[in-house]
Amino acid sequence: MGFSKAFAVGLGRFTHWGLRTLARRPASQLPGRVALRLDPHVIAELSGKLRQGAIVVCGTNGKTTTNNILASAVEATGAQVLCNREGANMAAGVAAALLPGRTADWAVIEADELSTIHILPALRPRYLVLLNLFRDQLDRAGEIDHVQDTLVQALARSLQTTLVACGDDPLCVGVGMRVQAAGGKVLYFGMGEDLGLPPDRVPEARFCQVCGAELAYDFRSYAQLGTFRCPKGDFEHPALDFCAMNVRAGREGISLEVQSAHWSQPVRIAADFGGVYMAYNLLAAFAAASLADVYPATFQRALDGYDPHNGRLQHFEVNGREVVLNLAKNPTGFNQNISLLLQDERPKATFFVVNDEPNDGRDISWIWDVDFERLAQVARSGGLVALAGGERAHEVQVRMKYAGLSAQAPLAETVAEALEYVDELPADHPLYVLCNYSALWPVKADLEKMGRPA
Amino acid sequence: MSATRSLVVAHLFPELLNLYGDTGNILCLRKRLEWRGITADIRQVHVGETPSFADVDIAFIGGGSDREQRIVCEYLLKQQRELAAFVQDGGVVGAVCGGYQLLGDSYLLGDEKVAGLGLVDLYTDRGEPRIIGNIVVDSRVSSQPIVGYENHGGRTHLGSGVEPLGRVLYGRGNDGQTGFEGCLYKNVLGTYVHGPLLPKNPGVADWLLARALERRYGSSELAPLDDTVELEANRAMCERLLSEQAGRS
Repeated sequence: MGFSKAFAVGLGRFTHWGLRTLARRPASQLPGRVALRLDPHVIAELSGKLRQGAIVVCGTNGKTTTNNILASAVEATGAQVLCNREGANMAAGVAAALLPGRTADWAVIEADELSTIHILPALRPRYLVLLNLFRDQLDRAGEIDHVQDTLVQALARSLQTTLVACGDDPLCVGVGMRVQAAGGKVLYFGMGEDLGLPPDRVPEARFCQVCGAELAYDFRSYAQLGTFRCPKGDFEHPALDFCAMNVRAGREGISLEVQSAHWSQPVRIAADFGGVYMAYNLLAAFAAASLADVYPATFQRALDGYDPHNGRLQHFEVNGREVVLNLAKNPTGFNQNISLLLQDERPKATFFVVNDEPNDGRDISWIWDVDFERLAQVARSGGLVALAGGERAHEVQVRMKYAGLSAQAPLAETVAEALEYVDELPADHPLYVLCNYSALWPVKADLEKMGRPA
Repeated sequence: MSATRSLVVAHLFPELLNLYGDTGNILCLRKRLEWRGITADIRQVHVGETPSFADVDIAFIGGGSDREQRIVCEYLLKQQRELAAFVQDGGVVGAVCGGYQLLGDSYLLGDEKVAGLGLVDLYTDRGEPRIIGNIVVDSRVSSQPIVGYENHGGRTHLGSGVEPLGRVLYGRGNDGQTGFEGCLYKNVLGTYVHGPLLPKNPGVADWLLARALERRYGSSELAPLDDTVELEANRAMCERLLSEQAGRS
């Protein structure tokens, strides 16, 4: 260990201790920032202490959930796992996650897509899980083409990393093809059957990654995910290494059967949290866990005990009313939440909170790509009360007006105000709170104070 | 005024040029017509189709990625003459972002200079850094400031005979230098302001509708609408941005 590395790691750990013990603050980033400042190669050097290696999870939506399920599953084997559970997913957060302890078995790391260019060549993980690519934060991340280019470059600089990508997403397969051409190894996961869901919007990626022709689909799960092929034969859905069959996805939970060469029998996994997108997250986590030699039963045990408390589909009870909190930070995430909400046949209230802090993306034009129109019919029949909140509450109001959802949706500054407003509704009408990134934490803190987990 | 008025809105290549919530602009035109009892005939023009502009009242063209913009421009160039005739005849065009750049003589895709539609005397080159952020523009077409978001690497330069859409009150605008944003030429309105443009700026939406009604029916009269929600969103954002700016200077 060189002096600079020892010093960087030491000071990073000291910062961690200081923040946690003296300042009682979360230590998800600053220690990493300190260590990286002193030694830019600190991620590469810290990776040496991993006995088994690292797995990195990225993708526009679902990376925190997938990564945390995967980390819990690997941990359930008795392995020592380093993980950035709080979702600090740029280089500093990754360095901070790698600091604790002299050795560990695995690092299971969530990475921001654009940060992979810094993280992968240094960490050289065994696997990179790529969940999906959707349009997100154009002002920060740029267009999807740029995100794809970055991922390909990152993987080309870490050729020992196997890409484990969603084979149903043409944009992920576009990355996979280029990685294979550069000499990298790629495995695919995806749905082996039509989930039979009502169609939603396909905002992007309907075009062949090779020739630009509009893709044809045998079936589509959501957004651009499905079994696609180029009509000119330039590009098609790949064979799946981890293929989900007999998928049941609803509000109450999901279950699916995974067929793979990894296990001699199909494996059924089930979770008591819902949503189609969650089926993909679970499948991805299971595939990566299998590659890390986690037995299916161990994976299921970890899943049964998974209770993230991170505002992702978190249930509360406040004064006898069920409150469901979820993150929704881009059109696809939001549209998936709307699907989930429509699966709940009870009359309900919704509170949409949109901020425009730097980590949300300052540009909120994406709210016009959210299908609020799907809720309008329910609202007209009296089954839905919609409220708007956040720094851009007025624009959420405008969006709801043009969607025919509410001519002038009531505004609420806090979730407490929203709950006060819906107080006149019967207690068995749940309140769904959908927040983008920076809006999530204050709402979650309030709900934890006012209510109890349900 | 007859109750059977109707307008045809052609939405050009919605599947390609839809980068910044552009469907919101079309939705806005539709609703503001319907709320006034005017029939809205919205026609999506897809890649590969060669639409006639003979009975079109408003053509709307949004923004796309470089790759998508290239595909679109190839198709549109084939119809350049018809589009030019439409513009000369007073046809209404709303063009946002990439669509705005397409109006001019040329623009850059990467480092490659690409011919535009040549509908308006302007051209676009490139500058560093990319201009990204909120924008507020004072314009004669709207009694409220136009508010939205700009995100462009291009720098657009207007010919001497082309009026800008307005003066930048916050943000950067066309080229980040002159303090002007967008273009107005005959009934063509081009701008970098997305976010999307029309529902947040009902004055701009109604300007497009009024110009089209004037051309079709000889009267630009529009029944007033209750724009409380829109104007409040516009006011809140303008106030926030302009006070932020005042605090900085």
